[in-house]
Amino acid sequence: MNQRIFNLSNLEVSIGNITFKNPIWVASGTFGYGTEAPDLIDVNKLGAIVTKSITREPREGNPPPRIVETPSGMINSIGLANIGVKKYIKEMLPVYEDLSTKIIMNIAGTDIHEYIEILELMENQSSSITGYEINISCPNVNKGGMEFGIDCDMTAKLTEELRSRTDRLIIMKLSPNVSDIVSIGKASQDSGADAVSAINTVVGMSINANTGKSNIFTTYGGLSGPAIKPIGLAAVNKLYKDLSIPIIGMGGIVSSTDVAEYILAGSTSVQVGTANFRNPGTGEDLIDMIDTYVAGSNWKSLVEMIGKVEIHN
Amino acid sequence: MLIERAHIISNTEVAHNIWEMFLDAPGIISEYKGSGQFINILVEDSWNHPLRRPMSIASAKDGKVSIIYKIFGDVTRILSKKKSGNNIEVLGPLGNTFTNWNNDYYPILVGGGVGLPPILNLKSECEFSKIDHTIIIGARNSNEHFIAHDPENDIILTTDDGSSGESGTVMNPIDRVIKEKNRPYIFACGPEPMLVAIRDYSLKNNIPTQLSVESYMGCGVGLCQGCVISKNNTDKKENSYHEQYSLVCIDGPVYESKDIQFE
Repeated sequence: MNQRIFNLSNLEVSIGNITFKNPIWVASGTFGYGTEAPDLIDVNKLGAIVTKSITREPREGNPPPRIVETPSGMINSIGLANIGVKKYIKEMLPVYEDLSTKIIMNIAGTDIHEYIEILELMENQSSSITGYEINISCPNVNKGGMEFGIDCDMTAKLTEELRSRTDRLIIMKLSPNVSDIVSIGKASQDSGADAVSAINTVVGMSINANTGKSNIFTTYGGLSGPAIKPIGLAAVNKLYKDLSIPIIGMGGIVSSTDVAEYILAGSTSVQVGTANFRNPGTGEDLIDMIDTYVAGSNWKSLVEMIGKVEIHN
Repeated sequence: MLIERAHIISNTEVAHNIWEMFLDAPGIISEYKGSGQFINILVEDSWNHPLRRPMSIASAKDGKVSIIYKIFGDVTRILSKKKSGNNIEVLGPLGNTFTNWNNDYYPILVGGGVGLPPILNLKSECEFSKIDHTIIIGARNSNEHFIAHDPENDIILTTDDGSSGESGTVMNPIDRVIKEKNRPYIFACGPEPMLVAIRDYSLKNNIPTQLSVESYMGCGVGLCQGCVISKNNTDKKENSYHEQYSLVCIDGPVYESKDIQFE
């Protein structure tokens, strides 16, 4: 059994026509552009890095306070602070040439033209980027993003337009802040998405009763961390039942048990988010831990576990 | 920067609700650069409180690091229950350091409330390097002070209620010492109203000043982009990617007062 711990081949997963060396990715907004990770970790071990959201123009983001801890979680409202796609192409793409992990670029826009323009700028470059995660679910900007994520027709239209412009992976990132996440997922699938990722953060609020003030400048922000794991698991399982494309699960993953639960619920890969803030090496640690988990279980591989949660009825 | 499980040497209440903890942290010490730097503490291994807490280093020598903290809420209360012999996971050392404290200037060190630790650390470094200086420590009342008022040795305490040292804020002694000394340079850390007052004073009187600022941090290593402060100097590119904001965790926590503005 010990030998298997060091043999990671059974952790490989496929999405579209791409094989990832393992299912542990780091989530958008929790790992910068993938180039500034502290030197105490080896990013090349990760299955993939999803970059922070890139917009057409640079964005300063929201005024502080942007972050507050909540019970077993945190609320953030960074506001898509980023350098903009042109600077991203110039400064980040060359750095990726030296990485052996896969890079998924997260794209956010305020209207359909912005998403298309960013994708076209990227497709006109030669780059080692594996695919795009499309942020249609950021709760922290006044305009855009979310309006796609709550509307099936707009999700379908956006997915279709992007699909027609790239052969790289397209992953639509779904919001939990909707009445029916499965219908948005189906709209993505039917319009050509290779996968969906779920869930983005849950809209939340935090108040300081001593001062009477909201703890976040924008009043509402995105709740993440272990507090939202049950919401993420339910979303992934519902999507798994109705979709045939892979689901990339996330929301409160901090341990190998959490990874196993998300895979049993129906995830093909998972993303680690908030846990990176506590320990940027969490993803790296989980790769070893999940291999140990599989080796000590009755499962032959991770792929075999996908969606195999036992239901009581 | 490294993550180290540090052994707690002692954890004692030094003033009302103010605690001092000494940690055996040789790894942190091996990368330590100077006063102003901080460590990010994981107070408990459970995920009830997911985020680490940034704490300024109050002293760093002989493989040991100390922090001084005030009990504010659940997390600091949990921290105060830790016993000698327990261990605690720390990430660090993080952030930049105070600079220009040397014999070309007369350092005036100003600490208020929980902003005292890096200032005490800087005082030790000045003493070690034999640099004449004055320290001014502000608190609301005498219960919060754990250092004696000793103006003859350039240690000045102030309290809002006059219960120990001079009555009033740190601004009166700052103004007085600046008028007495040649080439004064202010180094300050404390609550935001105090830093705002010192920043305004320093700009008006053209006194070079470094402020160590506090910010709510998610990660401490530049990944979450949560701990921003507004920059004044838009053409100075540092570790942050943006013009308007600076990330306190990697660009700071120490800034020249002219380079930042408070909300």
